Amino acid sequence: MGENMSKPSAKPFQDVTFFTSFKPYNPPATNDAAPPRPSIFSTLRRPPVAKPNDFIPLFSDCITAASSRTQEYLIFKDPEDKFHPSPDALTQIFLMTYISQSVNLNLTDIFNCTAMTPEQRILLGADWVWAVLEKSTKNPRIQIAVQVLHLSDKEGGEEDGVLPETCSESVQMAQRESSDRNMYERMVDFCTSVGKDCYALFLFFGRKNDKSNIYGVLSNNFEAAIGKCDKIDRALLENFFKGSRYLHTPSGMMQSIVTRNEGDPLTLMIKFS
Amino acid sequence: MAATQDAKGKAEGADQNFDYMFKLLIIGNSSVGKTSFLFRYADDAFTSAFVSTVGIDFKVKTVYKNDKRIKLQIWDTAGQERYRTITTAYYRGAMGFILMYDITNEESFGAVQDWSTQIKTYSWDNAQVVLAGNKCDMEEERVVSVDSGRLLAEQLGFEFFETSAKDNINVKQTFERLVDLICDKMSDSLDGDPAVTAGAPTAKLTDSAPPLQQPGCNC
Ligand SMILES: Nc1nc2c(ncn2[C@@H]2O[C@H](COP(=O)(O)OP(=O)(O)O)[C@@H](O)[C@H]2O)c(=O)[nH]1
Ligand SMILES: [Mg+2]
Repeated sequence: MGENMSKPSAKPFQDVTFFTSFKPYNPPATNDAAPPRPSIFSTLRRPPVAKPNDFIPLFSDCITAASSRTQEYLIFKDPEDKFHPSPDALTQIFLMTYISQSVNLNLTDIFNCTAMTPEQRILLGADWVWAVLEKSTKNPRIQIAVQVLHLSDKEGGEEDGVLPETCSESVQMAQRESSDRNMYERMVDFCTSVGKDCYALFLFFGRKNDKSNIYGVLSNNFEAAIGKCDKIDRALLENFFKGSRYLHTPSGMMQSIVTRNEGDPLTLMIKFS
Repeated sequence: MAATQDAKGKAEGADQNFDYMFKLLIIGNSSVGKTSFLFRYADDAFTSAFVSTVGIDFKVKTVYKNDKRIKLQIWDTAGQERYRTITTAYYRGAMGFILMYDITNEESFGAVQDWSTQIKTYSWDNAQVVLAGNKCDMEEERVVSVDSGRLLAEQLGFEFFETSAKDNINVKQTFERLVDLICDKMSDSLDGDPAVTAGAPTAKLTDSAPPLQQPGCNC
């Protein structure tokens, strides 16, 4: 039995069907963080749909809701300049709005959103992971791991706002497990380990020259960038926008992702707000 | 990087709260109940909603054994093939595995052999394994008999339990048995060739805790 195992191979069981088996006992969960109360948007919407690529306009709606809500807080300025919303709060506002909207639109059966646990945020570098689900198995077919970058972030991509005294023991442990790489590198490593159908999306809540808009750089090929530079930092990520003539819309981004040929590299810049 | 440094220093201070740290992994096909099993053990909770695990995750739980505090770092892995590279990367430092199948799912039982090969391929030689046939509360839907579970465990040289994360059956026992096995192995190794433990993964995980020179954990 052991002989036919190829030791270092990345995908030793590629052709075996064992692992694709799946027995849902319950309707696949939407998301544990979803607040049950319908938002005002639910009344404005047509009933749910379930065709393969029909999710893109719905996704776009969810993003519009999340981005505009987040933007309200992003541009907030205390006249006394004492009160500043924390970066985590902004991430939470975006995610909560996105999740409630996607539940309202019944999007989660086709395209789900999984918020990471505090430990996973450190280990995998992602705040949440979006997934296009395979119809029959509900297994992810395409994934987008998302990390939010804030203007107030310290360099190095470390969790900020989380002081060592206030973070739990297991979060500290997770930090020790992954202290050899920064948060950007961890997310890229995670996506690379999954494969070309797993994208890394760095979501900028404000950029230096445009503090009130939300931008993103998405790629399934960041490892190529690491190959050339010895580390990934914010400057490197922001650099993607410099040479770029074209900013995609969120639905344009999703369209490119679902129509891309399997295995092809794809790198896009997106404006979310 | 300052945050990491601080966290590190602080954590090392906190490390004094335990005598040993064991790294454990739960593996097996998707949806057999790995996440629920860990949730039950660490938080004494259960939810019937299925949220497919992304990549890996872990929880920490401290247990006491003969006046020693043992910190368990328990890794929950995603069973799907797409995460194989990331999950197997965590096999290396593991001292114990809970290999889980679902007694109502023949395929998950059929995959046990392959998961066991994964352990042999990617983990430390002395890693201990307990085979767990989960969802034993679902007797009417059972397709894998207790005897075939036990027999397979014997053939593979693993301990065996049937468990239920839902009804809290044998959850604690499974972890306790695994901890016992690791403790036994540790004292064996210390009695025997010290070189056996020299390269053990504990060295890295417990770098600030008293390592293996203390005589076993007297389990
Ligand atoms: N009846 C029953 N259901 C269980 C048990 N353990 C898990 N489940 C359910 O099985 C499904 C998959 O569980 P999960 O822990 O996510 O599986 P994982 O993919 O191996 O982590 C969920 O719907 C759980 O509620 C159990 O002991 N009994
Ligand atoms: Mg799981």
